[in-house]
Amino acid sequence: MSSPKPTVDERSLVSARLLIDLVNTTLDPGYAAAAQRRDPSAGRRRYEKPAVALGCLLIGFMLVVAYIHTNRGAPEAAKVHDRLVARVRAAQHGADDLASRLADLEGRLAALRGQSLPQSGALAQQLQRAQLAAGQTAVTGPGLTVTLQEPAAASASAVAGRGGTTPIEATNILTDRDVRSVVNELWHDGAEAIAVNGVRLTPTSAIRFAGQAVLVDFEPITSPYEIEAVGNADDLSVAFAQSAVASRYQTLVSVDGIGFSFTGSDHLSLPASAPTVPRYAVPRPTASRTGGR
Amino acid sequence: MIAALALVAGVVLGLVFRPTVPNWLEPYLPIAVVAALDAVFGGVRARLDGIFDAKVFVVSFISNVVVAALIVFLGDKLGVGGQLSTAVVVVLGIRIFGNAAAIRRRLFRA
Repeated sequence: MSSPKPTVDERSLVSARLLIDLVNTTLDPGYAAAAQRRDPSAGRRRYEKPAVALGCLLIGFMLVVAYIHTNRGAPEAAKVHDRLVARVRAAQHGADDLASRLADLEGRLAALRGQSLPQSGALAQQLQRAQLAAGQTAVTGPGLTVTLQEPAAASASAVAGRGGTTPIEATNILTDRDVRSVVNELWHDGAEAIAVNGVRLTPTSAIRFAGQAVLVDFEPITSPYEIEAVGNADDLSVAFAQSAVASRYQTLVSVDGIGFSFTGSDHLSLPASAPTVPRYAVPRPTASRTGGR
Repeated sequence: MIAALALVAGVVLGLVFRPTVPNWLEPYLPIAVVAALDAVFGGVRARLDGIFDAKVFVVSFISNVVVAALIVFLGDKLGVGGQLSTAVVVVLGIRIFGNAAAIRRRLFRA
C-alpha cells in the first residue's frame, strides 16, 4: 500500500512542474544556451545584423499582412451585402415599373373594349361580373377591414420589402395560416372582393409562407396585415364578430399581445389584380352553362 | 536599431504591396502572427538581458511559425484544428505575457 502514493505525488508534481515551467521560463532557453556557448571575446559575427534585419522584416511584413487581411474581410462582406441590397432594390423597382405599365395597358384595354363592345346589355354585364369575381377590376364599396399585427417586441431592423414592412423573425406569431383563416372567414361571411395589404385576391390567389415573409400571390407582405373585404358592412361585421376565427384572435390579443381589430367602413377601394392568363384551361366549344349559379 | 528599422521596413513593404493571402494559408495566419509576436518579445527581452543571439532569434522565429502551422495542419486533418490552435495561442500567449512582464520589470524596474 505504500508504493502507489508517491507515484501519484510524483505524477502530479511533473504536471505541475510543466505548468510552472510554462509560466516561469518564458524566454526561449536557446538564448541562454547560446550565451553560454559563445566565447565572450569573439565579438559579433558578420551574419548577425543581416539575419536580425531579415527576421524583423519578415515579422513586420507578416503582422501587417495579417492586419490588412483582417480588415479587408469586413468591408468586403459589407460590399457584398450592399451589392445584394442594390440588386434587390433594382429588382423591386423593375417589378414596380412592370406593374404600373401593366395597369396602364389594362386601362387602355378596358377603354378599347368599352369602345368596341356594347356599353350595356347582358353581355357587358356578364363580362363585368366575371371580371369583378376574378378580381380584375378595381372596386369600391362598403365593407370590413381586419387588421392583424405582430407584437411590438418583434425585431426592429427595417429591411427592404413592400411598403411598411418589417422582417418576420423566428419569433413571429402570425403566419400565412392566420391571414388565410381570416380571409376564408371573410369569404364565408359574404365578402365579394378581398385585398390583403393592397394585394387583391383572385380565384387563383395563394397565401403562403416562404422564408420569413407571408406571400400573397408571390408578393411578400409583412405585419401589420390589413385585410379589406368589400361586402355588406353590417352583415360582415356581425358574422365576423361571431366567428370562431375572431374569438381566437381576441384570445391571442391577451395571450401573445398581437394587434387585432376590425372596423366596418362605408367606403373601401380595392385595387385590381394582375390578370392571370389561363394557359391550359380553355372554354369548352359548346358553351353550355350547366350547373352555374 | 537595425531591428526596429527592418520592422518598419517590413510594415511599409506590406502596406505597399498589400498581398492577398491565399485561401489555404488563411487558417495559419493567426498562429503565425502569435508566433511572430512571441519571437519579437523574446528577442527584445533577450536583448535587455544581454544574451541576444541572432541565430537563436531567427531560428526560433521560423521554427515557431513552422511548428505552430504544422500543429494546426495536423489538427485540421484530425478534426481538432480549432482546439489545437487554441492550445498554441494559449502557450505562446503565456510566453508573450511573461516576456512582456520581464521587459517591463527591466525597463521601469517595477
